[in-house]
Amino acid sequence: MTEQKQFEEIVARFVELKDTSELMMDLAYSSLLLNSRELAEEVERLEEYMDNLHTDFELLALNSDFKAEEASGFLGLIRLGVATEKIADAAAEMAEVVLRGIEPHPVLKLTIKEAEETVTQACVSADSLLAGKTLKEARVHEETGMWVLAIKRAEKTLRPRGDSKIQSGDILIASGYAEGVTDLKKLASPEEACSIE
Amino acid sequence: MPRHFEKIAYKPIPVRELLVEMKNLSELMIDLAYSAALFNDKELAEDVLALEEHIDTLGYLLGIEIMIAARGDPRDAQALIGVSTVAAATDKISDAAADIAAIVTRGIGVHPIVGSIFEKVEERLMKATVKEGSVIIGKKIGKLDLAPRMGVDIIAIRRDKEWIINPKETDRILVGDTLITRGAPLGTKEFKDLAEGNTKQLEEQY
Repeated sequence: MTEQKQFEEIVARFVELKDTSELMMDLAYSSLLLNSRELAEEVERLEEYMDNLHTDFELLALNSDFKAEEASGFLGLIRLGVATEKIADAAAEMAEVVLRGIEPHPVLKLTIKEAEETVTQACVSADSLLAGKTLKEARVHEETGMWVLAIKRAEKTLRPRGDSKIQSGDILIASGYAEGVTDLKKLASPEEACSIE
Repeated sequence: MPRHFEKIAYKPIPVRELLVEMKNLSELMIDLAYSAALFNDKELAEDVLALEEHIDTLGYLLGIEIMIAARGDPRDAQALIGVSTVAAATDKISDAAADIAAIVTRGIGVHPIVGSIFEKVEERLMKATVKEGSVIIGKKIGKLDLAPRMGVDIIAIRRDKEWIINPKETDRILVGDTLITRGAPLGTKEFKDLAEGNTKQLEEQY
């Protein structure tokens, strides 16, 4: 493998670690906001996934044939990985509050709603442009700045994939800047009022 | 040199206010810390370390508020334990950010190739320098409506050899500023084009 290729692979793993740890934070805050066991359990599952990914990443970094003068730069890279793991742990500790059956205090819900980056839910009405589209086609992120973290359908919570189809009656759980919340709600239920809870 | 710790003096601040600040700061710090490590910027890393100390102080103040709020009532205490657990987690996140910053301040550094590949594959954090002719020069950040327009937020500005962390809505963009933004991949790209003067017009808001 060329040196460049080797680096690309290591960085790809690191970005995956970084993105997963941040997704876990969003999901953990969502689980607190909605007092949702399912979302909290998803955080736990991702924590396990992180552990494996982190090991892969470290092995890959250690196995690359770096020169003596590059050792420090590789140590820095490995420490970046350790930090993502610490962030993932912190997210899992938040989710644990829900899993231990502690009803999240109202002040927690207020905090999550008032923060710069927030979590929200929006239900999809029949007249929404989103109904019937796959997540990829729906371009929710481009339109609203919000990331869809999960889809609640009937009693189930699904983790979204590009080819997941959005149906009318779905509840989208999404994170992003507070400014995107109204846009998302408008996109999901433009005319019909659609009630949650 | 021994660290100087800010003295804890009780002042009544609502729990919600403290927790919102801890959550916002911890998330900002992560992005600043990654930027410092990947762009190898020592001053930015030092600012992250200073923010970490501030979060520690907030954690103490929040702890005091929670103890007062529980007032010896087991039910209140049980409801509040979740709040202190979440606060501790934001503190842990800020510690992780400080660990990342320390890679830079301790002179370890992250391999330079990593930074250049990272910039290509991770599009949520972006650095852009404001060039002559850009339409955003002289504009107040709040007036640019970046969050609703493109899902982007300016988290730091490098100006006159100093970093302005989390700039205010009333701060103006000047030519030569280096901006660190975070947000939607397409948005950060769109914004970089605006800052560098490749796009001449701010899109009308829908």
